[in-house]
Amino acid sequence: MASESPQQGGIRLKVRVNGEHHESVVDPRMNLADYLREELRLTATHVGCEHGVCGICNVLVDGQAVRSCLMLAVQVDGKEVRTVEGLAEGGKLHPIQEAFIEEHGLQCGFCTGGFMMALCELFDRNPSPSEAEIKEVVGGQICRCTGYNAILRSAQNAAAKMSASRS
Amino acid sequence: MAIEIPKSLDQLPTTRPRYVGRGIRRVEDVGLLTGRVEFVDDVVLPRMLHCAILRSPLPHARITGVDTQAAEALEGVTAVVTGEDARRWSLPAQSSPEGWGTHCIAGDKVHYVGEPVAAVAASSRRVAEDALELIEVDYEPFEAVADPFEAMKPESPRVLDAQETNVMLDRVFTWGDVDGAFADAAHVFQEKFRWNRLGANPTETFGCISEWDPMSLDLTIHGSIQSPGMFGLGRAATFGLPSNKVNIISHPHGGSFGGKGGTRGCDISCLLSRKVGGRPVKWIEDRGEYLLSGGGQAWDRHYEVALALDAQGIVTGLKVGLVDDLGATGEAYGAISAAKPLAAFTGPYTIPVAQYDLKLVATNKLPCGPYRGMGPPPHFFVLEQMMDIAARSLGEDPAEFRRKNFIPADQFPYTIPSGNEYDSGNYGEVLDQVLALSDYSAMRAAQAEARAEGRLVGVGVASAIEPGVFDWNAYAIVGMPGTGVPEGATVNIDILGNATVRVGFSLEGQGQYTLITQLVADYFGYEPEDVRVVQLDTQSAPPSFGPGGSRLGVAITGAVLGACERIREKMARVVAVLMQSEAENIEFMDGKFMLKGAPGAEMTVAEVAGTMLARSDLLPPDIDPRPEATHVWTAAGRTPADEQGRAKSYLTAAHAVHIVQVEIDAETGMVEIQRYCLADDCGTRLNPDTVEGQTEGSVVQGIGAALLEEYVYDEGAQPLTTSFMDYLMPTVFDAPKIEMVAVVTPSPFTPLGAKGCGEGAIHTTPAAVMCAINDALAPLGTSAREVPASPMRLWKLISEARNRASDESNDD
Repeated sequence: MASESPQQGGIRLKVRVNGEHHESVVDPRMNLADYLREELRLTATHVGCEHGVCGICNVLVDGQAVRSCLMLAVQVDGKEVRTVEGLAEGGKLHPIQEAFIEEHGLQCGFCTGGFMMALCELFDRNPSPSEAEIKEVVGGQICRCTGYNAILRSAQNAAAKMSASRS
Repeated sequence: MAIEIPKSLDQLPTTRPRYVGRGIRRVEDVGLLTGRVEFVDDVVLPRMLHCAILRSPLPHARITGVDTQAAEALEGVTAVVTGEDARRWSLPAQSSPEGWGTHCIAGDKVHYVGEPVAAVAASSRRVAEDALELIEVDYEPFEAVADPFEAMKPESPRVLDAQETNVMLDRVFTWGDVDGAFADAAHVFQEKFRWNRLGANPTETFGCISEWDPMSLDLTIHGSIQSPGMFGLGRAATFGLPSNKVNIISHPHGGSFGGKGGTRGCDISCLLSRKVGGRPVKWIEDRGEYLLSGGGQAWDRHYEVALALDAQGIVTGLKVGLVDDLGATGEAYGAISAAKPLAAFTGPYTIPVAQYDLKLVATNKLPCGPYRGMGPPPHFFVLEQMMDIAARSLGEDPAEFRRKNFIPADQFPYTIPSGNEYDSGNYGEVLDQVLALSDYSAMRAAQAEARAEGRLVGVGVASAIEPGVFDWNAYAIVGMPGTGVPEGATVNIDILGNATVRVGFSLEGQGQYTLITQLVADYFGYEPEDVRVVQLDTQSAPPSFGPGGSRLGVAITGAVLGACERIREKMARVVAVLMQSEAENIEFMDGKFMLKGAPGAEMTVAEVAGTMLARSDLLPPDIDPRPEATHVWTAAGRTPADEQGRAKSYLTAAHAVHIVQVEIDAETGMVEIQRYCLADDCGTRLNPDTVEGQTEGSVVQGIGAALLEEYVYDEGAQPLTTSFMDYLMPTVFDAPKIEMVAVVTPSPFTPLGAKGCGEGAIHTTPAAVMCAINDALAPLGTSAREVPASPMRLWKLISEARNRASDESNDD
């Protein structure tokens, strides 16, 4: 666990993560990715580039996908954060996770969380996105294994699954 | 007793394979998608410290002083190491050409930007990085050399003090009467090419946690390690330890593509751990470090190539001159990349004689390491450009020109001039399939129309070989000793009949655990849920190299089926005893042992396992009662290299033809890929879904290589591409829809007839894209000879060609 005496100059932070309430005192410079991973031990949020390009560390903050490497932990005070750990519920995979399995949308799986969180946000605001709209979102992410074809198929499959479950 | 491993799907003991040969839900996926898989940075050990590394800002300088006092005094800092510690407790890197290795931390001199000069262990990474800023290093800068041609001159600055030259290797390999072929040729074509440095960039960088006990000297390393067995041997050599003192625990990792080097950082974390009394020290390479000085920068090459043809347009000779800039010290097995092309030097063609003029040169840039394909992709880029130059000059269609030079299907196994043997293939069929898939003649007709409108549309046809199932003997010319790469697996059936397979490598993305599950399920008549795959550390695992060299799918299939065969043999003996018969009267099919000629006299695998484990008293004393077996598989028939580097090395030769249509925007130099079609033949497809996944990913990496990716250094050897804003990774907008078709020519030499296919399309894609670009440029009378074909490079070529044309028309 990081121990850099956060009490000295630490900032109090209250946040709800995947529905669970947390109260922490954090160093002002700690970013959200490190806070989730090191303080809360929510390690499904992976860090790929630490400069906001690859999108692997995406989480939802009040429903909006953000790069958790570019946001400070103290910025989520009073907010609702959702991470990959919050996708599957009640022992059941989220339709996006199911879709990635069915379409072989992952190989090493390191980047996949970032794609899923970005797609989560997309489907929330636009339940039946066009291929171009999906590409716009996927275009902000880097995957080195799949060549993206299978990720696009996964996203389309997920959108279909989610709209079927709504109707 | 000799074990017979099934050579084809119909030799499996099942009426019909239900899992092998088709895609199934990957067993890896749920853990990866829910975040339950433990990557190394997710691991926290008791009393763990965090390492940060101070790196040289200069490419070439004498270190005249390192002052670490202020850093050591910072609260939270436990230890600092410098070059002095490295010299006391470690040896120079063993992964370089002999005499070219350096210590993991610079001593008297730095050789490239990013070379470690000191490192800190502290309570957190943040504190460790704070401490780096307090370390003062005095440098006396030297002139640096970034250009290998400059570096070869006697007056050049010398990269290593211990060497009298910057040339690590300068040799000409000649296979056959090359001079005769060129003297007798009806046509000779010659050209120069430049392939710029690029790299692996897996989404997870390298990371490790090292624990080196200063009393016992036991060393344990957790890490995102591609080849744990070899990594452990390397650490033992570096630290002068007996190999059994080093234990490697490889965690699942976020891709590798050869680019999970990280040995320097790992060695530094080991030194720190020893200095702090054996506490665990974690080092997670960040992306900045990866791009500046990580593993997997590769292929910084200057080529000069010549092709000889007879009057019928048959290629009769090939000369390849390569000046390979390995950067400073050439560590991390970068030199292997220059040797591997010997495994497929003449590609899919009947070229009877060839020559390789190879120079490995040191410069003040980051040492080159491995990257997917390990050398042949640039080699095929130049070979395929030469094939196009010849075809265009002779007025022949590039597809048909290749066809008439293909090795005919009835000539396999086929030995190429550089010594390797291709197992099997049907190159004409692969070409036919992709011509049909792409509707090639319609593509050409559309291209003609576009050209008439003045648009720069091009079609590229390229064909290449993917050497599969590597062997060390392929790299003998750069000093790698040895032959044989074993892979082992242990299959265990428990008392309730469930199977556990123990292997020595971790998840990396290719789906090997799924493949193992499919194999065991079909062998024993099980469902995938009845099979579990677990990974052991190097002190407990069967011999393992792990993924690399397009080898593991074939090798692990051999190991798992071999272990299954051993269990079957043992169980047949047990069943014979129980049924009061002989083992040869026991048949095994669809998960049941049956006594021949006695309908109903049968036992399931679970029943036999249960009996063996519960009632060993019923078994003859010479039968080990555990329903468990280990098999270690190695490719048979590999030969040591001769003085010209010739060996039977890579066991399989997969083949592909890609057809690509591009359009270049003349105003911007941007390339749009309009169609991407391919046919490939990697023998029996054990899991077609994962093969296609490897292919799609490899195509897009190949497109990155052809169009985007480049590690740029300035003339003074300063790196200019140290973020993803500068080093351009392909995104979904660079990835075309990929149309594919498979041809299956099973290998006669491998388990189930599969061929190595993991590295895949990157062997062919850069060549195909560049062929298409040059086809588009042909009407302008210009051509691109440098990779990547960036918009700037293409725009310049197009503008120069147009200016020439308008000058000429003004002259008229």
